Amino acid sequence: MTTLAEGQKAAAVRRSGSGKRAALVFVSRYGTIIGLLAMIVFFSIAAPDTFPTRANFLNILSQASLTAIIAAGLTYTLVVGEFDLSVGFVASFIGLIVCGLMANQGFPIPVAIIASLALGTVIGCINGLLVTKVGINAVIATLGVGTILSGIGFSYSAFPIAVGIPRDFTMISIGRVLFGIPNPVIIMFAVLAILWVILNKTDLGQKMQAVGSNIEASRLSGIRVDRIKLFAFMTAGFCAALTGILLSSLLGSGTLGAGDGYLLNAFAAVFLGSATLREGQFHIFGTLIGVLILAVGFNGLSIFGAPTHFQPIFKGGILVFAVGLSALARRYAASA
Amino acid sequence: MRIRGIEKQFAGEIALRDVNLDVVRGEIHGLVGANGAGKSTLIRCLAGVTVPDRGTITIDGAELRPGSPRASEAAGLAFIHQELNLIPHFSALENMLLGAPKATRLFLIDWKASGVAARAAAERVGIRFPLETRVSELSVAERWLVMISKALVRRANLIAMDEPTASLSAAESEQLFRIVRDLAGDGVAILYVSHRLDEVLDLCDRITVLRDGTVVAREVRGRLDKKGLVQAIIGHDVGPGGQRARRAVPRDGTPVFAARGVARGDAVKGVSFEVYPGEVFALGGLVGSGRTEVARLAIGMDRLEAGHFEMDGKRLAVSDEADAVKQGLALVPEERRAQGMLLDQSVGFNINVASLLQLRALPGLPFVSAGKARGRAERLMKELSVKAPGPAAKISALSGGNQQKTMIARWLRPGTKVLILDEPSRGVDVGAREEIHEAIRELARNGVGIIVISSDVEELAILADRVVVLREGHVTGELVGEEISEARIIELSYMHGSELAEPAEGKGKGP
Repeated sequence: MTTLAEGQKAAAVRRSGSGKRAALVFVSRYGTIIGLLAMIVFFSIAAPDTFPTRANFLNILSQASLTAIIAAGLTYTLVVGEFDLSVGFVASFIGLIVCGLMANQGFPIPVAIIASLALGTVIGCINGLLVTKVGINAVIATLGVGTILSGIGFSYSAFPIAVGIPRDFTMISIGRVLFGIPNPVIIMFAVLAILWVILNKTDLGQKMQAVGSNIEASRLSGIRVDRIKLFAFMTAGFCAALTGILLSSLLGSGTLGAGDGYLLNAFAAVFLGSATLREGQFHIFGTLIGVLILAVGFNGLSIFGAPTHFQPIFKGGILVFAVGLSALARRYAASA
Repeated sequence: MRIRGIEKQFAGEIALRDVNLDVVRGEIHGLVGANGAGKSTLIRCLAGVTVPDRGTITIDGAELRPGSPRASEAAGLAFIHQELNLIPHFSALENMLLGAPKATRLFLIDWKASGVAARAAAERVGIRFPLETRVSELSVAERWLVMISKALVRRANLIAMDEPTASLSAAESEQLFRIVRDLAGDGVAILYVSHRLDEVLDLCDRITVLRDGTVVAREVRGRLDKKGLVQAIIGHDVGPGGQRARRAVPRDGTPVFAARGVARGDAVKGVSFEVYPGEVFALGGLVGSGRTEVARLAIGMDRLEAGHFEMDGKRLAVSDEADAVKQGLALVPEERRAQGMLLDQSVGFNINVASLLQLRALPGLPFVSAGKARGRAERLMKELSVKAPGPAAKISALSGGNQQKTMIARWLRPGTKVLILDEPSRGVDVGAREEIHEAIRELARNGVGIIVISSDVEELAILADRVVVLREGHVTGELVGEEISEARIIELSYMHGSELAEPAEGKGKGP
């Protein structure tokens, strides 16, 4: 069998080297970045007064920030070869809980936030244990946990929790502590930087990449695969909780189902990102590019006054396109 | 059936060279050869799974269209592989009729009418269980009967059987032989592939021996004895070993690694051996003899049912692979692609993945030093002469030999006390093989306990200082230094269960 596989590989290598293939590799590596720049240039020319302004760029980053945080956590689960479909539900649920803790339990803001982040991490841990220890397929486990959370959220408060939220809490999202940059943007860059460092500069991160590359080989190399996966799920839970908290702060209320939509955005962004620079591998920088493509796209659509129903068409289209691009990139990487 | 001049190459390696083979109706034709001699490839060509590069196959005078399993089936060829391609949750009857034309009534399958032929076939091979029984509830022997019936339902006139008795008891084997003889008596041709030479000598009317893709002997029954057969399989009259100066390894002191009566299921039935520091120890035997299974037990991939392993004289208890690595026991697996390489990563990443803690920039902080990592990778690549542009090159772009060197380099680290190498030179060219062997000897000289597992007797004869040969989960013998020769290893590999020296058994089942 080995010889057969190698024969096919050799044949693939022989087929390679054509200009068409080189172009495809180039597109699969830099296509997303080029696409992002092209969109920016296009919108800047088409709407020179409204699009290329500092205020609008900050607006775009601001809109991108929540998606970026949740998508970065999701990236971790994909790096280790798993999935987390619960992130949107976790964001909604935690957004509700953090408001409830302040409004109903009268927790001070920092305590409510820390407790909510911890809860999100615990939910991620439960996801991870279901996948690694019980052996449930990640898609099913996280979808189940997410659905349960939406039910618990409903029984916790079917109506938005808006009364009794401290003003300081809403200021977290609205405030601009540094150079007039909205706080969520700063938080996004901080989270992305930390996750990037962990993934690329620590032995934990290298082990995550090893696990995502080949589980069996990782195990034989002495890596405790289950623990690594658990860490990824916990990170995803933490990031989803953080997004949920920021979302509630932005809305000034805890609203049922408010964060559900982030799931699809995050997936679209992560898969777009996986086709950036690294041919089908998931990574933090790529995820940021993916998020920006979505944010710029949405922003451009609204500037041109495209009807709202256009947004899901764009989002779904981008998701299919992104996953397709990522699959193609991986195939070409495999035959290289 | 007539095969003329079949040739097949895989990635430049010749699998079959000008093979001619005739099988006539009513004949039981034995096909033997060492692992990799080309038996499977030949069968795959017949089955239409593999397209030969050259040559023709004719069935009853009509040429067979190559590369078409349907054409092969239509021509009356049937194949029964070791893995028995049956659907477990279908009944025996459904399996027999799978893919065969069935009688229908109102577009629904009329099982009663369709089953007539199947029941006749079942009776012919002596099936005594109800055909409605699910295959998953049948024994291996009963599954064989289902497979044979399935072939008969299709009116197969040539049935190729691959290692039919591998997992059958003596009585079950006898029953199978009787059926095979009956079928041959009815004019069905049988192509019988087996490693059990006694069986082949006893059962087959003619025997064809393959070696390195070439037919090297063809004899009718009685013209060949076991010794002659073994000689044909390995090729040359092998003199007493001595292809190289073997190290005289002091065998006193504590073995660095030992197995004490380890057992699990049918695969490993009480295996004991000792590995001394400084020697290249090897486990020989045929595929399926339990060598890889012993490695899996040692490394914690499977649970032991009896016995234990020792390292440095102390009882070794590993909970899983990661624990084994932590305790200094590592495996370079047989399936490099599936179990060894991180295929989408760089050579450097692959070399360093098991040494990340030692490569931290500052002890106590979780950061990996890129400089240390690159340095280690470059040093080891040079040491093992891994041919690649640099540590950043993708491992998928390397040749098999260089990939394998990378796998070995992964374990050249202070914590490795015992290294098990399963088929270390599979898919590796001759030059790289020599370099890999030298690396293995060097590791042994440095006091690392080495266990080489190989089906390649030539490799064992060249490389090992001591060989323990397994057969069907038992130790059949141990060869040391000058005693090691290809012929002796083969002899022990093919030793039949009944010839087993009792002590081996006793040692295994010990306290």
